[in-house]
Amino acid sequence: MSALHYARPESLADAIAILEQYGPGARVLNGGTDLMVRFQKMQVTPEAIVDIKRVRDMSDAIVWDGDSVTIGARVVMTRLIRDERIRRRYPALVDAASTVGSIQIRNRATLAGNICNASPAADTVPPLLVHGATVQLVGSSGSRETPLDGFFLAPGKTARAPDELLVSITIPPHRSPYGAAFGRLTRRHGVDLASINMACAIDAERAVTFAFGAVGPTPITVKDTSGALADHTVSDAQRDAALQALIARTSPISDVRASAAYRSAMLLVIGRRVLAQAQQRRADFDARE
Amino acid sequence: MSNADAHSGITHSGIIGRPINRVGGPERVDGTYRYVGDIKIPNVLHTRLVHLDCGRARIHSVDTSAALQMPGVRAILSGKELPASVKRFGPANRDRPILAIDETTFHGEPVAIVAADTVWAAAQGAAAVVVDYQELPGIYTVEDALAPGAALVQDPALRPNSAYKETNILNEWKFGWGAVDSAEADLVVENDYTFPMMTQFAIEPFTYAVEPTSDGITVYSAIQHPNYLQRVIAEFLDMPLSRVRVIAPDPGGAFGGKQHAKFEPLLAYLALRIGRPLRLELTLEESFQAARRTSAQAHIRTGFQRNGTLVFQDVEINYLIGAYEDIAGRLVAKGSYAGGGGPYRIPNVRILARGVFSNTVPSTAMRGFGLPQMNWPVECQIDEAARELGIDPVELRMKNLPEYGEVFMPQDPPADGRWAETLRKGADAIGWGKPLPPGRGRGISMGLKLGPTTGASYAIVRLHGDGSATVLAGTSDMGQGARTVYTQIAAHELGLSPQRIMVVMGDTQGVPFDLQTSASRSAVFMGNAVLRACRDVARQVQELAAEHYKADAVIVEPGTVEVGGQRKTFDQVMTDRFSKVKGEVIGSGSARAEYDETHPLNGRPAFYEVTCTAVEIEVDKETGVMVFHKLVTVADVGRALNSQHVAMQDDGGAIQGLGHTVMEQYFMDDRGRVRNLGALDYRIPTTMDTPRELISLHVENGDGPGPYGAKGAAEGGILAVSPAVAAAVCAATGAMIRELPLTPQRIWEALHT
Ligand SMILES: Cc1cc2nc3c(=O)[nH]c(=O)nc-3n(C[C@H](O)[C@H](O)[C@H](O)COP(=O)(O)OP(=O)(O)OC[C@H]3O[C@@H](n4cnc5c(N)ncnc54)[C@H](O)[C@@H]3O)c2cc1C
Repeated sequence: MSALHYARPESLADAIAILEQYGPGARVLNGGTDLMVRFQKMQVTPEAIVDIKRVRDMSDAIVWDGDSVTIGARVVMTRLIRDERIRRRYPALVDAASTVGSIQIRNRATLAGNICNASPAADTVPPLLVHGATVQLVGSSGSRETPLDGFFLAPGKTARAPDELLVSITIPPHRSPYGAAFGRLTRRHGVDLASINMACAIDAERAVTFAFGAVGPTPITVKDTSGALADHTVSDAQRDAALQALIARTSPISDVRASAAYRSAMLLVIGRRVLAQAQQRRADFDARE
Repeated sequence: MSNADAHSGITHSGIIGRPINRVGGPERVDGTYRYVGDIKIPNVLHTRLVHLDCGRARIHSVDTSAALQMPGVRAILSGKELPASVKRFGPANRDRPILAIDETTFHGEPVAIVAADTVWAAAQGAAAVVVDYQELPGIYTVEDALAPGAALVQDPALRPNSAYKETNILNEWKFGWGAVDSAEADLVVENDYTFPMMTQFAIEPFTYAVEPTSDGITVYSAIQHPNYLQRVIAEFLDMPLSRVRVIAPDPGGAFGGKQHAKFEPLLAYLALRIGRPLRLELTLEESFQAARRTSAQAHIRTGFQRNGTLVFQDVEINYLIGAYEDIAGRLVAKGSYAGGGGPYRIPNVRILARGVFSNTVPSTAMRGFGLPQMNWPVECQIDEAARELGIDPVELRMKNLPEYGEVFMPQDPPADGRWAETLRKGADAIGWGKPLPPGRGRGISMGLKLGPTTGASYAIVRLHGDGSATVLAGTSDMGQGARTVYTQIAAHELGLSPQRIMVVMGDTQGVPFDLQTSASRSAVFMGNAVLRACRDVARQVQELAAEHYKADAVIVEPGTVEVGGQRKTFDQVMTDRFSKVKGEVIGSGSARAEYDETHPLNGRPAFYEVTCTAVEIEVDKETGVMVFHKLVTVADVGRALNSQHVAMQDDGGAIQGLGHTVMEQYFMDDRGRVRNLGALDYRIPTTMDTPRELISLHVENGDGPGPYGAKGAAEGGILAVSPAVAAAVCAATGAMIRELPLTPQRIWEALHT
């Protein structure tokens, strides 16, 4: 067994060079709230740990370009939650980020880490998915941008190549009125991982998108094509039928957190609540603009 | 802030009952407290256990060759290599090997131990040990264990004198009085209830160190019973007690899980074998595999008259224990005996209780000692009768409570408290009977636990030449505040400010014997021993004053003596007497309760711990998610020696009770593996899960056998939580659930499937 190599590069190029050298044996260390737990339990046994906290060009800034926002890979949940403009524009993301762990965890946990960890239950992923976020990756063969939808391949697995770093996340502009909401179900009130989670967005054209987490190997994004979900005038039964059509695309399993039957039933219950809140926020948005 | 600062300005007068802050509290908060894990031992090796990922297995061979080559690895011992002369151990029956020899009998039973220079090297070494084994089917449930022809969990040779050795039953206890079969009832309520497998979850994981010395051995352990451990090690190693020193720093939480030896004998054996000190710190996951509470299944029939009078109680309860006895015999007997009746007058009672072996994590004591499992069905039955008979649950309980001094269990002391006051206080504080917003419900419940039946506690108090005092008491302060209470007793008796008193515990080399820290005993037993030691000191000071001042001396109030018409504090007497050639006064005291073979439990309880819990909750019927608006506990403590401590203990007991009531449980797969080891998927309440309003009250009538009329406290808070919550859920939703915990999913299932 060789000794573990710990690297704290200061430039992106150096970081990528180490990643390239170790290939899949390297692990990126960001806030460490996922990685260190797994490391201590020997669930991951990396040859090299590449700490990116000192990398100059890994940003911890939230940058607006018109109505589009780019969130650096070093931005922690606490910072995201406190950002006034994010709070106004993306309350669903703020709600999701606010549920991650505890205050101490949120002071270290990054949005990038929540994505790259690729847990099916990652809380910030559903809102990012319904917002149509993209991620920017830089590797030895250059940089690329890819939609978050499609980035997740399996639990713990993403389309990121071993020598790539996720450097930022971009949320594209949304024409108003726009409303989105986040909801989740946990086994207790304090610090818990989601038994199910979800986000819903309703855009200016009244297109409704849902993203569901913890009900399949990866979070999934589904669009309502019935039109029933954006329409206030439909009956509860019609609305539920449209929701059920979306829920049918999920594949919940039974595990220690919840049974498949309970998860399925809760998708509908929480789905109704999240939809109602998204509608309300869209209406409020309408009123404000 | 040090202890001394915490108590600056506090004098001895009126100190009994006073809510003075915890001795050792600031250190626990600021991180300066030294737990076992903080003790540095020169030359120590770190160890790690090797276990298998299945419930039960036959071990063919253990290959340590690769692991021994790893950097830093110094020694490996597997069960296969143990000489036959190495004894088994256990607090009751010595049935447990220090390492699994031919077979592992539960998920997590260690097969080998690796000693290395660092924790990491030991972990790497443990991962490199190759065990060739064959997984075997195991016994994981009561049904499996009691099925005809079931495989035996324990080798009959380990208990040759047991009538049950050819079964999976540890023992069967039959208690009761009256004639259940001929009792006539208007209403018979009959149900099944289950109580989950759960763990004590002390925040400090199990941590040990063992150091061979030139004249014996020193064992460091955060153990509740240092003297018990001393005896277990002495017997295991064939050493005299005087050569075995147990150093037991205050545990970082114990809750019964740290009563008895677990890995100390293993470390002692290996340390002596290789001649190096060793330490072992279990991970949280391993701590889950080291101790748990017994789960239980009860079938119960309860008879009532139309007017609500209890007629009979008929219970069969099976406690599922691990593969070794530990103290299950005592736990099942004591828990079921008192629980069968609860704090009520029931003329006919029949209890059949069994301890049932299984291939699961060793079960041991936990706060409430077998009683929460029993109180759960008993109190739920009362609520069910209340609903059936249309009688208010508070009234129904009132009707059946014995009066003060009334005999309610024929072989036991009469009711030693005014229990109606306890119930009334709980009902008033929760607003019983007042209108509630929709979606909410209230529930109320009582509980009775027998205090200790036998015991032996010894204390020494040294009054120093400067008038300050050291109290030596072998209790473990595991968070219950024993140090503080003994400080208060000594301050009162010797007329000292608490700042001038030091309580020394946790070192068998200098501190006198205490049987154990359990059963809510320490304030009463060790409290009395400390009180008597102080009075022994006072008597000596009185003599000394007469001699020194050559006049008659009388104690006029605690800590003050009158000599020749002048009042002098002990402090003054001591400084006057010992100004030239120094010295001190040493007092000793003890408290004992002897074995009584005529009693079913071999001893009558020293007191009853009686409690009431009342809750107000709200259920989201669509999701099953529950919110606790309010929780009230009331404890009859005789006399609160420190009102803050009593409230804190009951708050803590109630929150811990919420754990097994709404979220805590082991999930086991069909291969006997615990699937939710550790903090990720085993849920305990966080601060956000505690009731929005949490009130702990007490009843004080000075009617206990402890100092100043105190009874024991601190277990009561956990006894009655589950039935109160279940009743509240039933009131809020109409669903009565008889299987704990009442998780959101389970409530949802009750309402929707
Ligand atoms: C007590 C506790 C509670 C938690 N509660 C929640 C919760 O409620 N909801 C939830 O969603 N999560 C929760 N988590 C998980 C965790 O906090 C989040 O997933 C967090 O966002 C991870 O971010 P991090 O910066 O700490 O990631 P790290 O642990 O540093 O990294 C996570 C993974 O992503 C990779 N990685 C990180 N950054 C990059 C990058 N820039 N480029 C490439 N790869 C990268 C790492 O190599 C690693 O595999 C909890 C964790 C703990 C310990």
